[in-house]
Amino acid sequence: MRRFALSVAGLALLLGEAAMGQHGPRKVTFNREIAPIVFHNCAPCHRPGEGGPFPLMNYREVASHARQIVTVTASRFMPPWLPDKGDYPLADDARLTPQQIALFARWVKDGELEGAAKDLPALPHFVEGWQLGKPDMILKAPKPFVLPASGSDTYWNFVLPIPVERTRWVKAIEIRPGNKKVVHHANILLDRLGTAREMEKTPGDGFGGMEIRVESEVFDPDSHLLFWKPGTRIEPEPDGLAFRVDKGTDLLLNAHLQPSGKPEPIQPTVGLYFTDKPADKKPMLLEIEHDSALDIPAGVKDFAVTDSFTLPLDVDVLAVYPHAHYLGKDILAMVTMPDGTKKTLIHIPHWDVNWQAVFTYAKPVTLRRGTVISMRYTYDNSEDNIANPNHPPQRVLGGNRATDEMAHLWLQVLPHAQPDSTVDPRMVLQEALSRHEVEKDATNFEAQYNLAAICSMRGDVKEALPHYEAAAALRPKDPVVNNALGSALLSNGSVGPAIERLKEALALRPGYFDAHYNLAIAYSSQDNPAEAAREFGEAARLKPGDANAHANFGATLAQLGRLEEAKRELEAALKIEPGHELAKENLAQVNEMLAEGKK
Amino acid sequence: MRRVVDRGLHAGARLCLVAALSVAAVAASGPRSATGIDLQGRTVDPLAADRGKATVLVYVRTDCPVSSRYAPTVQKLAAEYGGKSKFWLVYPAKTDTVPVIEKYLKDFEYKLDALQDPGRGLVKVGDAEITPSVSVFSANGELLYHGRIDNWYEDFGRARREPTTHELADALAAAVAGKRPAVSTAPAVGCYISDLQ
Repeated sequence: MRRFALSVAGLALLLGEAAMGQHGPRKVTFNREIAPIVFHNCAPCHRPGEGGPFPLMNYREVASHARQIVTVTASRFMPPWLPDKGDYPLADDARLTPQQIALFARWVKDGELEGAAKDLPALPHFVEGWQLGKPDMILKAPKPFVLPASGSDTYWNFVLPIPVERTRWVKAIEIRPGNKKVVHHANILLDRLGTAREMEKTPGDGFGGMEIRVESEVFDPDSHLLFWKPGTRIEPEPDGLAFRVDKGTDLLLNAHLQPSGKPEPIQPTVGLYFTDKPADKKPMLLEIEHDSALDIPAGVKDFAVTDSFTLPLDVDVLAVYPHAHYLGKDILAMVTMPDGTKKTLIHIPHWDVNWQAVFTYAKPVTLRRGTVISMRYTYDNSEDNIANPNHPPQRVLGGNRATDEMAHLWLQVLPHAQPDSTVDPRMVLQEALSRHEVEKDATNFEAQYNLAAICSMRGDVKEALPHYEAAAALRPKDPVVNNALGSALLSNGSVGPAIERLKEALALRPGYFDAHYNLAIAYSSQDNPAEAAREFGEAARLKPGDANAHANFGATLAQLGRLEEAKRELEAALKIEPGHELAKENLAQVNEMLAEGKK
Repeated sequence: MRRVVDRGLHAGARLCLVAALSVAAVAASGPRSATGIDLQGRTVDPLAADRGKATVLVYVRTDCPVSSRYAPTVQKLAAEYGGKSKFWLVYPAKTDTVPVIEKYLKDFEYKLDALQDPGRGLVKVGDAEITPSVSVFSANGELLYHGRIDNWYEDFGRARREPTTHELADALAAAVAGKRPAVSTAPAVGCYISDLQ
């Protein structure tokens, strides 16, 4: 009883002087108690041109939604903010305090008074247009997508080519998703290989789909979680954390759209702010997931999926992006320190895919080597879950469609350099993660492929081979894995099997430069200059700007005694890359032979 | 005789003390309380306008996103029951002026007649509390159903992919068949009409 009495007294104190006058409780007014909360927490979105469906900028506007505000703040639907208060504070935490929520209810109970004009605080200064001033480059989706008036939510992908002529570093990005009343959130991926373009029927069309993966053929892990949600504050990246875009890089903007009742054309624009200072810190995205464990029987209310990953080195965690679909219920990520201390990285007790977001830590969270990052997600596949896409519920598996499920925990981490190693710490982290994935699920193609690629990058072809073979067995019709396996076999001295794989890659993807090039090398190593010349020739034709292809083509032609053609190719190589040593040496020899021939 | 007296009889028949009290209040305001103002500024009694047809009052607000998202559903049902029922959009917010409503009708491709309800007479006659919600009246003006259109929304921000119950469609089907719907009221989710000045 005593404790109860104390806590009540505490609450009265917390409600504060604002509500307690000298002569007993005084009435809550808009100008004195409500406006400061609304102006700071609601008006950034609830103002003209922003995502909030109605403005909340003055007494009249707020009063005309007063009871609604009481309801939605009490249920914590508004302001939209999914995570509980965890052990590590999050930037821009939008949660209202229980005292603030109570004030709304009291205001309505007290008669929705406006109060004295002198009490009204000024509206915050809202920047109109681009938040950081005019961007250095503005990209616009080539064509609008027209969202139908009704139907279920839509995920639409826009491909925005970046017209840069050279590598640029981006220090800030502002995503203007189009009509903010229907765009619920948007994600941006950097597509360095044109994967997304190939998914468009005609260029600029865009395409539907909730989950998009872009390919990368080199070790170039994504480093940033580029995300827009209503109310996103635009801030330049901290010093040294810019991200790179190259000639040919596309932005892939994945937008979650919610029909409004009328057809809505959506045409996003993106502003890029460049810096001359290249990044000197190299963060990467760490994806902990356990989709293969997702096999949720119909009707089950509490299906749990777990995974844990032990850090192979020290990292700073900068941001977190938990991801599940419509059945997600309780999302928890914990860390267990080497000394056994446990902390909560993020906890979302009532998952709602509509309000998924990237959360940035107010201060980077440093985790030591040996720390275990663990996730525990639960799913409600019963009729009680009103977001359940199936009615009646059905068995649901992991997958990319909106009606499939996911169990992903993305972390943006900055791995610390290892004192006694020159190896890129991102590679150490990626290798550990891929190994973990392979151990968990040997049929995970991506993990097998990535592990093999990293092993071969650090020169361990012997270790790479079985993983390439596993990947190739999982996807025998994938030209990229056939080429990679061929190349690894070649490095391992197995020329015959390598040639088979490379030929297979070319049968699957005619005009595949890498496979032609690798096949040419294989023939060269068999002292078969005729076949080698044919393959190098094809490679040089496919990529006329590749100095190596021309130089090697020239060298094999010279071996075949086709000196004039050899000279032409070697000169082509030097035109592209004037310092190309091999081409220089070979050209000198060829010129000598030609001069001798003339004599 | 249609209008509030008939409706009052219905509410009384529900044997609910609170309802009876509200009937008294409505009755006291007289028959005028069941009129709205059309976009030409004329006073219209929607319950008297189309005798022999069921009447549906659809309470909406141009700044209520849930109201707006229901536009295709409402328009579809109105078209389906075109010959046997008359739908009216009712705007209780004073900020929903004629130009604002006209733009809204155009944007959302509504082909329904609209009424402003500055005196809240139409709100009272249909026991409406929320936008969007509907009140369905029989051909002789008896209130058969009031509340949500369907169960698409469970709460603010908590919507089903598709509704699994269809209260308005069921009430309409009953009304045009001269029957009483199995459900007479179901809670709507949206903006409170009482929040309006």
